[in-house]
Amino acid sequence: MRRDHRFFAGLVGVAAVITYLVWTGVTSTMVYYLTPTELLARVQADPGFHDLGLKVSGQVVPGSYQPGEAELLHRFVIRDLEDESVTLDVEFREPLPDTFADDAEVVLEGRYRSDGVFDAVVVLTKCGSRYEAIPEEMAMARFPLLPS
Amino acid sequence: MLLPVLGEFALWTALPIAIWGLVLAFLGGRWGRGDLVLSAERSVHAVTFLLVLASAGIISAFLNDQYQYWYVYNYSNRELATFYKVAGLWAGQRGSLVFWALNLAIFSSLAVYFNRARNREFMPYVVGVLLVIQAFFLIICLFVSNAFELLAFTPPDGRGLNPQLQNYWMVIHPPTLYLGFTSFSIPFAFAIAALMSGRLDARWIEVTRRWILLSWFFLANGIIFGMRWAYEELGWGGYWFWDPVENASLLPWLAATAFLHSVMIQEYRGMLKVWNMSLVILTFLLTVFATFLTRSGLIESVHSFAQNLTIAWIFLGFLAGVAVISYGLLIWRLPRLRSDQPFESFVSRESAFLLNNLILLGALFAVLWGTLFPLITEGFTGSKVAVGPPFFNQVNIPIGLALLALMGVGPVIAWRRASKRNLLRNFALPVSVGLVLTLALALGGMRHGYALATFGIGAFVLAVIVVEFWKGTQARARIEGEGSLLALFHLVSRNRRRWGGYIVHVGVVVIFMGFGGAAFDVEVRQSVLPGETISLASPYGHRYELTYEGISTSRAQNMIQWVALLQVYKDGEPVGTITSEKRQYITTQQPVSEVGIRSTLMEDLYVILATVDDMPGVFLNSPQSERATFQVMVNPLVGWIWYGALILTVGTLIALWPPRGPLRASGRGTATPGVGAAHPRGDPSPSVPAGVGG
Amino acid sequence: MALMAAILLAGGVVLYVLLPVLTGESSPLDRLDDEATEEDSRRRVTLLALRDVEYDYVTGKLDELDYKSLRREISTEALEAMDRSASAAGTPPPASAGVATSERERLLEEEIQELRRGLKTGGLCPGCGAALAPGGHFCGRCGQALRAPPSGGDSAGTP
Repeated sequence: MRRDHRFFAGLVGVAAVITYLVWTGVTSTMVYYLTPTELLARVQADPGFHDLGLKVSGQVVPGSYQPGEAELLHRFVIRDLEDESVTLDVEFREPLPDTFADDAEVVLEGRYRSDGVFDAVVVLTKCGSRYEAIPEEMAMARFPLLPS
Repeated sequence: MLLPVLGEFALWTALPIAIWGLVLAFLGGRWGRGDLVLSAERSVHAVTFLLVLASAGIISAFLNDQYQYWYVYNYSNRELATFYKVAGLWAGQRGSLVFWALNLAIFSSLAVYFNRARNREFMPYVVGVLLVIQAFFLIICLFVSNAFELLAFTPPDGRGLNPQLQNYWMVIHPPTLYLGFTSFSIPFAFAIAALMSGRLDARWIEVTRRWILLSWFFLANGIIFGMRWAYEELGWGGYWFWDPVENASLLPWLAATAFLHSVMIQEYRGMLKVWNMSLVILTFLLTVFATFLTRSGLIESVHSFAQNLTIAWIFLGFLAGVAVISYGLLIWRLPRLRSDQPFESFVSRESAFLLNNLILLGALFAVLWGTLFPLITEGFTGSKVAVGPPFFNQVNIPIGLALLALMGVGPVIAWRRASKRNLLRNFALPVSVGLVLTLALALGGMRHGYALATFGIGAFVLAVIVVEFWKGTQARARIEGEGSLLALFHLVSRNRRRWGGYIVHVGVVVIFMGFGGAAFDVEVRQSVLPGETISLASPYGHRYELTYEGISTSRAQNMIQWVALLQVYKDGEPVGTITSEKRQYITTQQPVSEVGIRSTLMEDLYVILATVDDMPGVFLNSPQSERATFQVMVNPLVGWIWYGALILTVGTLIALWPPRGPLRASGRGTATPGVGAAHPRGDPSPSVPAGVGG
Repeated sequence: MALMAAILLAGGVVLYVLLPVLTGESSPLDRLDDEATEEDSRRRVTLLALRDVEYDYVTGKLDELDYKSLRREISTEALEAMDRSASAAGTPPPASAGVATSERERLLEEEIQELRRGLKTGGLCPGCGAALAPGGHFCGRCGQALRAPPSGGDSAGTP
């Protein structure tokens, strides 16, 4: 029976290590996925929310895009997909994806700074109804369109 | 056009035939009626024929620009190259479901054909199970997502194929993946047939082992082709993003890898019968799950779009049904699936395989959890929480390293129980090789812990395998008096599975080292005018200088290209030019970047044309319009992933190559006295152990 | 035109599928005689295990003590498997009626010898040149016996 115990212990050991890895992985890397409306509500309720990694989805407000001057610093404004009155200022320092345009649906990853500007690290664009086939193709293509 | 019309009709005919066949197969098996079974087997071939016709119909609609079909209209246009028109069959969801069914049908027909005079007890149920799966896909093809759906009018031209799919790798990546997914149905069908027919010995494993290896191989290559496509086409310098759909293809591969290892324990030791059965069922369920994730867009929908929920529910229902019935059968047969033998020792190859299985399933669980995490949290807490690539990397890198290390441990440990003294002796050399490399790299300035571990453990595994080959060859050469090369050749050809497997392991190690190289990617982004230079230090210490020569435009068949030319200098020496493009396809508004890659054994120089300040200006040749921003990367060891895949292919082919002679070991009951003096058993002659087949 | 083709197509397919039910033509459903049985595969596996033990010993993964004890164990298993394999073939097992253990051991040794020989020579059939699986007594392709034909001796084991 001693052997059985050792196998059992091995099994429990592996399971424990993997559970631990998954647990620490989740707690240290998870990001909240919010709309601008939800984000603003959260920030009002909890000022400490500025420190967390976030994903925010919205739509680029037409004409709000200001290209960077010397350095690459893109500024633009997104609005909530449902409530168009809620907007969020965004700063981004990487090249924008090819598909970035006015009215494009975007998903931002980054932090909400205490000065009220969203500091994006990643900007993903989603293609909406303009091109019906795209969502299907994206599943085929395995990726949402990524920044280039 | 006749062919598309006929194709649609064939698709409609296929469903009743499949249903007829599946009913007859199960009844024939139950009642022992050979005529019903033959009719069912013929249904399999008939369905294959009809699906070939349906696929030919779709391709013909593409080639002849039949834009009255919704599917053709959305995935093609007149300018599209013929190559991509043929690939239109799997360019979008509707066609790819038909393509899926076609693959399944062809594999089913092959299985029926090859087993026309073998494994007859299984065949009624095998045919039945395969036709159930087929009928399911046909129902989706016909009622949910019909590739032959007509538009109300005939548009003059199509909307074109997504430019990012217009890539060589994208044409071969999905079919390879589909071949892998669909061929898993055959082992699954045999497993279920074994459960239903009650013939639960090792036979079904013998029959399906090669199928599974083949599916595993297709899946591995499909995944790697996908990485290649992502690397060349998506233009962000990486090849794996832990996207849900990518993860979906990884899940069945992990389960199949686990099965390929644990099945050896059942073959050699008669253990883990229930476990193996569960793994085959799990693998099949995961292939369906992968299709479901890819097709339903359910996970993406969490991100932004509500997609095809009808398909999601149908798939989920099918998945649940298959799971309940399969595992129900397994539980029903549980009393007859006991192990022949107990585990003898904690230190044995069986244990190593078992550990490998547990870790692989752990990785599977971690990936599955991360993929479904947004759904789970939304379901339970109401707030959407996602995990991204950092999560998967953080969890899977240690798991991957543990698996890598086990790859080195397995070959050295004997079956049943290993002698610990010998274990130490056998590990001494490979472990030192690993340690020396790690130390050398660390002294050379490498500070990345995981990368050091990857290279160190990788070197250890390679050393183990080289020593295995060396020892085997030496022993054989000594005993048989052969030259080393001949001995090596005989060694491998006597036990292709073992040595082929080791070569696959070499491939996997090389791939892992390629992953390890990603720790040292460097990149620089710079906005330059013609004549200016971008400078970048490679992690190996040399320096790249790229001089921007200028940009030119050209009009191709269905796009306008902006091609930037850069002169590459390595430590001051000119080593050639590199081009990086932006393309504007006529049919879609969005521009697409085509990266320039200069690939060498040790590193890739990867140039992205990020922005052209004045694209119309360049097109009109206006002066001072050529300022452009480049993103230049040096990605060390990326090529090793593709080379590793080649090695893996070679190894798999060696393992798959049919054994010489019949599978059957010998005539039954002919253990007769004959010629040849025997040793008394108590005194085995250890001086000349001749069984060096490996 | 399309209608004609469709009717022809459907008719042909349905006829092809239905024909067996109408004419009674049927597929075999029983295990064929020359298919390996559970006993056969057990026997083969134990012989393979023996081969592996030899290999592990010669490449230094097993030391001599373990090698000997393992070899003895697997030999016993192989012996049992051979007995079962023989009895499954419809002949009484050699072990049944007080046949000397040494006799069975001798049989086993022969199996092993055969196995070794097959491994060494690479086993080509003298009759048709087909490659042979280790431990085979007959060529799987042409059925030629590979050594002195059995003198009906698998039942009692009398030489």
